[in-house]
Amino acid sequence: MTSGRVDQRDGGDARWERPLGTAPDVWAVFVQGRHRDMHVYAGDVHAPDAEMALVLAKESYTRRDPCVNLWVVRADQIHATAQTAAEMFVPAIDKSYRFGGSYRQQRRVLQSSYKASYREEDQ
Amino acid sequence: MPGVLTAIADPSVRDAFREWLLRIADDELVIGHRHSEWTGVGPDIESDVAMSSIAQEELGHGRALYEQIAQDEGSDVDRLAFGRAPNEYRHAALLEQENDGWEYSIVRLVLYEAFEGARLRLVAASGQEPVAGLARLLGREERYHGLFAETWLTRLAGGAVDGPGRVQAALDAAWPDALGLFEATPADDVLLRAGVLTSSPAAQREAWTDAVRPVLESCALTMPTAEAREGGRRGVHTPAFGRLLAQMTEVWRSDPEARW
Amino acid sequence: MSTAPSVTPDDPTMLARFTERIQAGDQIEAGEWLPAEYRFEALRLINMHANSEIMGALPEREWIPRAPGLARKMALTAKVQDEVGHGMLLYRVAETLGRTRDEMVAELVAGRARFHNVFHYPAETWADVAIIQVFVDGAAMQTQGALRSCSYAPYSRVLKRICYEEDFHIQLGLDVWRSLAEGTPRQRAMLQDALRRWWTPIIHFFGMPDRVSPHTEKMLAWRIKVKSNEELRQQFLRKFVPIILEYGLEVPDPNLRWVEEEQRYVYTEPDWEELKRVGRNGGPKSADRLALRQRFHQQHAWVREAMNRWLTSQAHGAVA
Repeated sequence: MTSGRVDQRDGGDARWERPLGTAPDVWAVFVQGRHRDMHVYAGDVHAPDAEMALVLAKESYTRRDPCVNLWVVRADQIHATAQTAAEMFVPAIDKSYRFGGSYRQQRRVLQSSYKASYREEDQ
Repeated sequence: MPGVLTAIADPSVRDAFREWLLRIADDELVIGHRHSEWTGVGPDIESDVAMSSIAQEELGHGRALYEQIAQDEGSDVDRLAFGRAPNEYRHAALLEQENDGWEYSIVRLVLYEAFEGARLRLVAASGQEPVAGLARLLGREERYHGLFAETWLTRLAGGAVDGPGRVQAALDAAWPDALGLFEATPADDVLLRAGVLTSSPAAQREAWTDAVRPVLESCALTMPTAEAREGGRRGVHTPAFGRLLAQMTEVWRSDPEARW
Repeated sequence: MSTAPSVTPDDPTMLARFTERIQAGDQIEAGEWLPAEYRFEALRLINMHANSEIMGALPEREWIPRAPGLARKMALTAKVQDEVGHGMLLYRVAETLGRTRDEMVAELVAGRARFHNVFHYPAETWADVAIIQVFVDGAAMQTQGALRSCSYAPYSRVLKRICYEEDFHIQLGLDVWRSLAEGTPRQRAMLQDALRRWWTPIIHFFGMPDRVSPHTEKMLAWRIKVKSNEELRQQFLRKFVPIILEYGLEVPDPNLRWVEEEQRYVYTEPDWEELKRVGRNGGPKSADRLALRQRFHQQHAWVREAMNRWLTSQAHGAVA
């Protein structure tokens, strides 16, 4: 945990980034449940190499839930934002303009015109 | 719906096919039992979990195959799995040997899976439905078992310390029993003549040797030259099986009529 | 045993900020700043939980080779497998608090670590499997269910999965329980006998009623403890005593009764000295179970060594 970059704007000691700093035999396991899903972090295994990590991850993390594909990555290769930097993810201004739900009025208009023009053969 | 056995018109073929199914189911039951003994005491936690899944799957394969017979005979799977005399079991001796160290169990798994994968393909090619379809399905899980075993074998034999010596000793110990998997019986002849079985035990053994040789040699292991130790396919077992069966059926035997 | 809390006092500003965050309902992640005492207590709790899963596999494991019937054999194997898997998840969480798994396992097999009282007792008959799955796992479920809202996020996340799997164990146990309770007179007697033998260890399971102490208060304030021992015991009794009664079995404590006004069960005060003795690895099966662990640990020393060398050779390969 020595290589984290120091953000000078926060008093000089608040690292915003750091490696996980795990032992070299810890592998993070990512499970893809269905092809249309992303790989999702499920937990870790201890293993001496990637092949063994994959073999062991299968029964540790997919014996009940569906899986079509597995990833393993050495956990010490993962870098993370520091927990103390969590605030930077919290919006300070109203960001509702990014969401479709903020434009309900318009949607009502759209829906009524859609209904008016609805034709069976378009479906 | 008639089961797979009643669908076979020729009684001698039917009996031989039953014998074959029972043999496969017994192999799976007995190795499943041995593997399950690793649950809770494996060499590392992850492998303990993985070996336990393999045990459960082998037991499950045994159960699925017993069901095929039981369905036809109006019996039930537990009666087939637990209720026979020792000499009525048809598994090979390889599967009943005690787990003499992790290396023995891994070597046995490597040797058995190479055999079992090929045998399920023979069952799938037998044309006897629904067992042929079942064999295709079960083959799916055997692939992982082989992968697990070979991944471990490589690391044990290729790792340092006295791994190579230990693995070679386990291989030498397992070899005669592994050849016993191919013990020929009159049932094999009947099935071969009827075209249900498409490869003789001798041909199966040759194909198996060709399959395991590169795996073993890539781990710098020496192919043993010992002769086969047979008997299992005819119901002749080692004392290890007597102990296994007594323990396995201890509770069930105390009241076979009870629901447990 | 874990090292005692650091003698260097925590930075008061950091400590105040930490306590404030937890009281606001925040959870702490691996790698964040922790007060030394928090780290010590959380590690002690999670390490012991991990040990208990690994040791807890042993009593039921004895019945895998003897399970009556294929379905039972497969399900019991899967159940014990889950406990071993919980050990894996929990040791990994404990590692994030500063100890390696190898270190914790070595300490456990050497008999220098603690594990839960219930796993120091024998599993004498097949009926013990039902009792362990319903009542021991049911008791564990109360504690673990509550701890899902604890302040250490990595622990809270794995508890979610653990509780999900424990539910399977209890359902499986109830199925075995029912087949024995509704079975032959011999099966029923077997079940009643197992219940009688397990009753005290299960009452012990939750620990002595907490004394009101600054320590307990701090654990509660830091949410390393979420409910008091007695609260959890009462919660367990409310859920599980009805199962015994529903099947017409006898509650092994003649003094157990529900007190409507107090909304609680009263029960015979168990011998708390026994719990302390058992907790120090002085239970009826402590020595045997530890000896078994030791035997396999020693048997696998060369396997661990081979894997370590493999890891080193792989790591060098990656650099080259």
